[in-house]
Amino acid sequence: MNAAAEAVMQDSDRSLAELVLGGDESAFRLLYRRHSPRLYLLVLRMLGGQEADAEDVVQDTWLKATERLDTFRWEASFGSWLCAIGLNVARESLRKKGKREEQWSETTDAAGPAPRDKVDPLDLERALRGLPDGYRTVLLLHDVEGYRHDEIAEQLGISAGTSKSQLFHARRSMRAALDGYGKDEAHV
Amino acid sequence: MFDDELSPAERSAFDALPREQMPSLELEERTVALLRQKGHLPTPLLAHKRTDAQTHRKTWLIAGAAAAAVAIFASGMALGQYLGMSKAVQVASMSAQTATEAAAHVQQSGDMYVAALASLGNLRDTSDVVGRERAKQTALTVLGAAAEQIAHLAPDDPLAAAVLRGLNQRSRNEGPVAPSRSVIWY
Repeated sequence: MNAAAEAVMQDSDRSLAELVLGGDESAFRLLYRRHSPRLYLLVLRMLGGQEADAEDVVQDTWLKATERLDTFRWEASFGSWLCAIGLNVARESLRKKGKREEQWSETTDAAGPAPRDKVDPLDLERALRGLPDGYRTVLLLHDVEGYRHDEIAEQLGISAGTSKSQLFHARRSMRAALDGYGKDEAHV
Repeated sequence: MFDDELSPAERSAFDALPREQMPSLELEERTVALLRQKGHLPTPLLAHKRTDAQTHRKTWLIAGAAAAAVAIFASGMALGQYLGMSKAVQVASMSAQTATEAAAHVQQSGDMYVAALASLGNLRDTSDVVGRERAKQTALTVLGAAAEQIAHLAPDDPLAAAVLRGLNQRSRNEGPVAPSRSVIWY
């Protein structure tokens, strides 16, 4: 989306949000339908493909966003703000389910699987789902959503160095998983 | 130290992943119901608090249909009372086969509703304050039920939403009286 279109979208989001603050249900539904598809897929991936959990997270995210709507300063885009809330709600959901994010590691192992010259997006989606939660979160934010390490660090409450380290390990795990799928298919 | 960049093929695969997926339609209703429950969105006039989305939806439809039936019947009877016409009873028993017929029914019953209101406004006897107040409450209930039906037909219609919002605000200001109970049976 170009800058002009983004500006129009932001103005429109703001107008809708002001109506929502006045209790306008149809304005809320428009805002919901505009932003939920991105939010839903983000949290669905973050939760490893658990659809029911992802829907609960989306619902809680909208509740929190509506509660805080009057404090949003509109310096960032509404969609980014919403997704940031969604990420926190999704992490909270993982914690509640006892799925601890992996310990942040600063070590580098011996050479891992080499970067691949052919990747099937379906296999990639499958590999993402199979990653440990902590690795998946950083890989998702950096390589899918395009966040920078300093933004990931701020979002997750870690250092930028830790984010880089986690991404390094996450990519290796992802390649190992993709290699595994290749071997499975070779045996079929 | 952590130099392990993506290959062009890996980058392309990431870029090819979809970024959006629509959640189930039920989730929207569930979310709206939760926001109503928490007081961030107004509760529709004839809806009660629900926690289960499916139950909420079904009950909503039943309540809407019942409200419409009561509204049409009440407006028809009121009209009969005020104008002494028998057409109102026919309106209540209308059953449209096509959209054109349904639109004609809406037009006909709407005209009668407006005519009934006009006759109420033109009454010379102003001493029956209680009776006039009851008639006004009935008229507002019918208006609310009609707005509910339009909202079902077109959930994004701003006019129906504004009418419901206004009536909702009014009922909040006047206290927790269930509007459906204010229908007067003439």
